[in-house]
Amino acid sequence: MDNVDGTEHYNLKAPADLPTLQVIILDTNPLAWDSLNRSAHLSFPAALSQLLIYANAHLAFSQSNRAAVIANHIDGAYFLSPAPPGTDTSDPDEANLTPEQQREIAQSNACKYRGFRLLEDEVRAMYRRLIRDTDPKAVEENPETSYLSGALGLALTYINRVCFGGTGGRSNGIPGDERGKVNAAGGQVDDTGRTMHAKILVVSVTPDPAMQYIPVMNSIFAAQRLKVPIDVCKLRETTVFLQQAADATGGVYIEPEAPRGLLQYLMMGFLPDHIARQSLILPTKYDVDFRAACFCHKKVLDIGFVCSICLSIFCEPPQNAVCSTCDTKLDVSSLANIGKPVVALPKKKKKKKALDSLPESGVASAANSPAPIP
Amino acid sequence: MADSDEDFVLESSGDERGARTRGSRRQTRQSKKKAPTGAPRREKWEDIQRSWDTVVEAADGSIAGTVIGLLEATKRKRLLRDTTPIQRGIIRHLVLVLDLSSAMNEKDLRPTRFHLTLRYARDFVTEYFEQNPISQLSIVGMHDGLALRISDMGGNPADHLSALQDKAFTQEPKGASSLQNALEMARAELFHTPSHGTREVLLIFGALSSSDPGDIHDTIRSLIEDRIQVRIVGLAAQVAVCRELVMKTNNGDDSGYGVVLDEAHYRELMMAATSPPVTKTQSTSTPSLLMMGFPSRTVETHESLCTCHSNLTKGGYICPRCSAKVCFLPTECPCCGLTLILSTHLARSYHHLFPLKNWVDVPWSEAYLSTHCYSCHIPFPTQPLVSPKSRQQPAGGSSGANGGHGDGKQEDQAPAAAPISQRYACPDCRSHFCIDCDIFAHESLHNCPGCQAVPALMIKERARSTKDARGEPVATSMRTQVAEATKMLEKSKIAPGNSTATSMDIDP
Repeated sequence: MDNVDGTEHYNLKAPADLPTLQVIILDTNPLAWDSLNRSAHLSFPAALSQLLIYANAHLAFSQSNRAAVIANHIDGAYFLSPAPPGTDTSDPDEANLTPEQQREIAQSNACKYRGFRLLEDEVRAMYRRLIRDTDPKAVEENPETSYLSGALGLALTYINRVCFGGTGGRSNGIPGDERGKVNAAGGQVDDTGRTMHAKILVVSVTPDPAMQYIPVMNSIFAAQRLKVPIDVCKLRETTVFLQQAADATGGVYIEPEAPRGLLQYLMMGFLPDHIARQSLILPTKYDVDFRAACFCHKKVLDIGFVCSICLSIFCEPPQNAVCSTCDTKLDVSSLANIGKPVVALPKKKKKKKALDSLPESGVASAANSPAPIP
Repeated sequence: MADSDEDFVLESSGDERGARTRGSRRQTRQSKKKAPTGAPRREKWEDIQRSWDTVVEAADGSIAGTVIGLLEATKRKRLLRDTTPIQRGIIRHLVLVLDLSSAMNEKDLRPTRFHLTLRYARDFVTEYFEQNPISQLSIVGMHDGLALRISDMGGNPADHLSALQDKAFTQEPKGASSLQNALEMARAELFHTPSHGTREVLLIFGALSSSDPGDIHDTIRSLIEDRIQVRIVGLAAQVAVCRELVMKTNNGDDSGYGVVLDEAHYRELMMAATSPPVTKTQSTSTPSLLMMGFPSRTVETHESLCTCHSNLTKGGYICPRCSAKVCFLPTECPCCGLTLILSTHLARSYHHLFPLKNWVDVPWSEAYLSTHCYSCHIPFPTQPLVSPKSRQQPAGGSSGANGGHGDGKQEDQAPAAAPISQRYACPDCRSHFCIDCDIFAHESLHNCPGCQAVPALMIKERARSTKDARGEPVATSMRTQVAEATKMLEKSKIAPGNSTATSMDIDP
């Protein structure tokens, strides 16, 4: 609609007028939702309808706004809306409906804004299909499975297509790409080549997929590069990955205290677009714990030793100075007196004049530098 | 240095035939190097590639198919690279040397060499730190025969960018450039860097001569001794001493020396230096164990000064050893010298260690499997009803008007010009993707959306089914390659699945 007249051309200069694409990544692991329902009395159907209201609210902001829903299911990540082209989006239960029921549905749909109805119908139908195709045995086998990295990957590639016309990669300066040239030369990285803004909302009920650490981190960095905030609504099981995702991309991280009021959290916390967010104090988590865990004893560290080849973290120099991850013989000579800075310090000072001429490597001097006793 | 210049003049004097002097010189030297001395010499400019020769009309006279094919070929050319997990120098120390001599006033690169270089230098700094979050950079300029220090060795991109703005942008390109002075200054800066990191110099060389105070070969020798690797981007023409310098400091490999063709190529050459160099020999760097701090972020109610910039800030990161507050990571604690990083910075470098496999072209025989891109839903073209072979016949007849080349040549070009299926498949999960998703996945995402979105079991099944279906040698070689790569990963025990995944989580 906005594209009909020539105004679009001028609007591009004002970033405020760019529409927004909202991608919702929804956990659909049945067992996880069931346990949430028991602990916090929020059932999946209730959550889904609240989420659809949220999506509709987003669509209502502008006619050019768009929404996409991705299911993070027990056996993979799937697009619910827009459905992959060629798939049958009719409701599998429709055939069983009585004529009265059909008439009722038709009447309730008659007064609904078309954009809302299309989204709702598609998401509900695709979700029913997804559940119908799910093996009940697989549900029991995968109580905590999550394909977070896959869902993020799908979301980002879709955003790359819709918002950047496929040029959101680092392929800015390729020959023959006129837009890329402007980008490279003009340095206007922000709104060149971007036709829409985007944000991702992750509604999560499953714990961190520990096996996917690297893929999830890669997705987070890709989102950062595209300037796409990842908002997180964590209903159950605190996670570290998603906290870092929200922090790194400038998104909102909320763990609702009363999950039954999900809609309220969604509307207040996540609905504002990136322009409004600049002038709001966001209800996000500010103190993020960035401490790392060592590879050898899984201890949480604030000072650790890192292998310069594979970047593994250790809490103490490994045995025989061989990195247990990449089997490299490491040079630990510079760390020789790291454990005893208190003893070394006074000696050092006394000898300082005599030893002044002795050369030292950078690491050694850093390690020996006066370290206050904590 | 001087002798190389004379060399140019002597050779090029006979070869100039109205072409731009600079260009013909470069080509002469290149072609001479490549051509064996006995064979009849063919100048590079004699093999002209006319873009319209490669275009083949479709049956209806449109050239859309060929155009799309060419476009995708250019895009894809950049993508294909070696994906075996290799050891790279992740912790780097690089000196960027910019030419600020009078040669930079030339306008052969728009708007001028100088302005373009500064603009690219800014991009380079950003990109460098994005790719190498725990590395350090320093910038040096060659100005008026001297080496001019622009920014000191450091890990904060903002410092370098403001230094570029303050010092380099205000300089007028002037005087001669001195390779020796710049290299000696770079050497002095890299001298104290720890032995576990790489030591590199990236030199942008616009001039064709260098005015040095001493013998440059002594400098080269000392660079080799200090195991400093030099890469050079030449803006004008190949210079013998530059090539020698690059070859000698890179164990006889001169791939680090490139002369720009145009603006885009310039950018490409410069950005090539942002990905970490492959560790070829053990001697280039000694692996070691580094002590690093992982500070936590705090939010304070009252503002306090940060130790790094003495700014009043309300939050920041507290050094776990000395409790000094810094406002920017990664950095070295100004108080106790401990390297402070986020564990996410380490994670950012992992994609260099585990690169994503190259995706393969999907032939038309398998194209029926998909109608749209797996991840972005863009529809794929359907197979043309007429087979490419029979399409060629009318095309050959109609393009006869172009003239100049026989039918035999047309036949040769036919396979290359046949429309491609525009599908690219991940060798593991066999999902089909479009070219844009291919580029995005390899350059930004570093994941395969298909492999991540389907269970591991299904991936294995798919791989097996394709194995049964076709036993093509291409497929087998690809599979063995993949198997080798996974074996290497398992051997090195840094596979994403086992150790790093579980142990890298951070305490909530």
